[in-house]
Amino acid sequence: MRFSGAFRQRVAEAWLEIRENLGRSALQALGIMVGVASVLGGFSISDSNQRRSDERWRKLGGIERMNVQPAAAMRDGSVTALQRANLGLRNDDAADGEALNSKAVHATSVQRFARARLRSPNADQERQVSGIGGDFLPLNGYEVEQGRAFSMTELAAGAPVCLLGAEAASVFFPSGDAVGQTMRLGDFPVVVVGVFRELVFRWREGEPNAMAWRNEIVAVPSALVAARMQGDRYERVDRMTFKIPELNLMEGFARDLASLLKANHRQQEDVRIDDIAARMRKRQSQGQVYNLIFMLSGILSLVGGGMVNVNIQLASLSERVREVGVRMAIGASSLEVFKAFMTEAVLLTSLGSLGGLVLGVGFSKGICVFLDIPLFLAPGSFFAAFFVASAFGVVFALFPAWKASRLSPMEALRYE
Amino acid sequence: MSAVIETRSLTKVFGVNGNAVHALRGIDLVVARGEFVALVGPSGSGKSTLMAILGCLDSPSAGGYSLDGQPVEGLSGSALARIRNEKVGFVFQTYNLLPRATVARNVELPMLYAGVGGRERRERALALLEKVGIPEKAGRLPAELSGGQRQRVAIARALANGPALLLADEPTGALDSKTGAEVLGLFQELHRQGHTVVLVTHDPAIAALAGRRIELYDGLVRLPEAKAA
Repeated sequence: MRFSGAFRQRVAEAWLEIRENLGRSALQALGIMVGVASVLGGFSISDSNQRRSDERWRKLGGIERMNVQPAAAMRDGSVTALQRANLGLRNDDAADGEALNSKAVHATSVQRFARARLRSPNADQERQVSGIGGDFLPLNGYEVEQGRAFSMTELAAGAPVCLLGAEAASVFFPSGDAVGQTMRLGDFPVVVVGVFRELVFRWREGEPNAMAWRNEIVAVPSALVAARMQGDRYERVDRMTFKIPELNLMEGFARDLASLLKANHRQQEDVRIDDIAARMRKRQSQGQVYNLIFMLSGILSLVGGGMVNVNIQLASLSERVREVGVRMAIGASSLEVFKAFMTEAVLLTSLGSLGGLVLGVGFSKGICVFLDIPLFLAPGSFFAAFFVASAFGVVFALFPAWKASRLSPMEALRYE
Repeated sequence: MSAVIETRSLTKVFGVNGNAVHALRGIDLVVARGEFVALVGPSGSGKSTLMAILGCLDSPSAGGYSLDGQPVEGLSGSALARIRNEKVGFVFQTYNLLPRATVARNVELPMLYAGVGGRERRERALALLEKVGIPEKAGRLPAELSGGQRQRVAIARALANGPALLLADEPTGALDSKTGAEVLGLFQELHRQGHTVVLVTHDPAIAALAGRRIELYDGLVRLPEAKAA
């Protein structure tokens, strides 16, 4: 390169040109700004919403779970004779499932529901009672705040003990001293050994707690429900859950589990396997579709802005033909003229992009405030927005710059 | 003494077959180093076209041209740009300074294209402004200067890379007679210092100041002056 310091000089000149034509430059930058802002804003809003959803799942016990429940047909009444002859989902199924692939399955829990009259010195209500087994608490996002969880022996023996959700504890023992107290579950007494931490999740500030129902839980060992409330020696369950941290093993496990359960249930397909990770993947791909739409709308506005820029640049070129002629006369080559125009466009694009990033942050902040969700800005979104805008800025600058560089010096000098 | 300008049967045709305009119809011209030549002729005689070709702003349709001993016909655009940058200094009637750049930056511009370093550029620009008599205007914008001063800036810019040829196109055309005379004095001074000057004009009084008059008429050099070389 035979131009020393020429780059800095070009940038300085480009800056001068931009400053001298503030109105025109602002218009050109505006197109870029809106495009960048819409890409960044779209991404950020989508990311923020995704974040929110992920947080909810984390509170529900994570997405790396697989739920197995009796098929809908088993409950809505249209049961076939063969299905009725079966025992349905049992504790044994959970144990078999866990044994199926002990590498994939990190935890298993079962749940069995019953309705019962619950009485304490302070309240007397009919409620759903959850018979729980296995690693129910971590798998469902419950944490013990006071007291303790069930011991293995209590779970196995179906001991008369219970754990209360925060709401249930405050209803039955308003003074807050639930642990150690006795309450009646139907016609037998159980001892409260622990109280869960309150679960709170709001989609937006000021909305009711979306997890309020989860604080109403009254949990006892599932063996207790089977033995004392339902007299079920087959230990049937209403739901079992497997924890599979490796999400890519989930699909294979679901297939294996389905055939195992079919074999266990005399070739009847009477269960529904719910792969939460797959559901999440679907949601995520939906999120990607939204991102694509945002990207597209950003690109469209960049295309619009770019075409405006080409027009403005061409119009401004006719103002500057003479100047280009002078520069050529004193020795600027076509390449030099081309570079000067490109530098100006790239500088303008960069400034517009920076403005757009600021505008985009403001824009997504505004929307997030409106939606009452916390704003989450991914660095990748900034990069994507900036990159896309710069690419468009350069592409759309090529034509006017090329046109300027093709001017004949003689004609340019004579141009009026 | 070597020739700065040497043309052989230079022709220039504008337009296409049907309505072609023959602006130059065979110019043979030699200008030696250190000469002060006035190029005169009525409008339409081909002065401007010849000047554009002599300044490498345009290429001849046919014929040969050597500038400072280097043949320039058939050179690429960027090679011509380089020759304009290094060997030719233009002075225009309307100054053609960049309006947004200071006087010093205007003078530096040809050196910038030549790849001269920043500090040296600035030093040379100030020396040149000193030479044309307006060192105190370095930081001003062209619009803040009088016509005569602007033309001095243009001359300083033309001298920036030590050109072999100074080409002036009606340099006093936009000036009043007093300032015009001063600017012409500057050209004479430069000539005395050894610069080769070709001055395009239609004013016989100005042409009389030159060492030699070359008169163009209808795209040809009008005799008898053509013989002098």
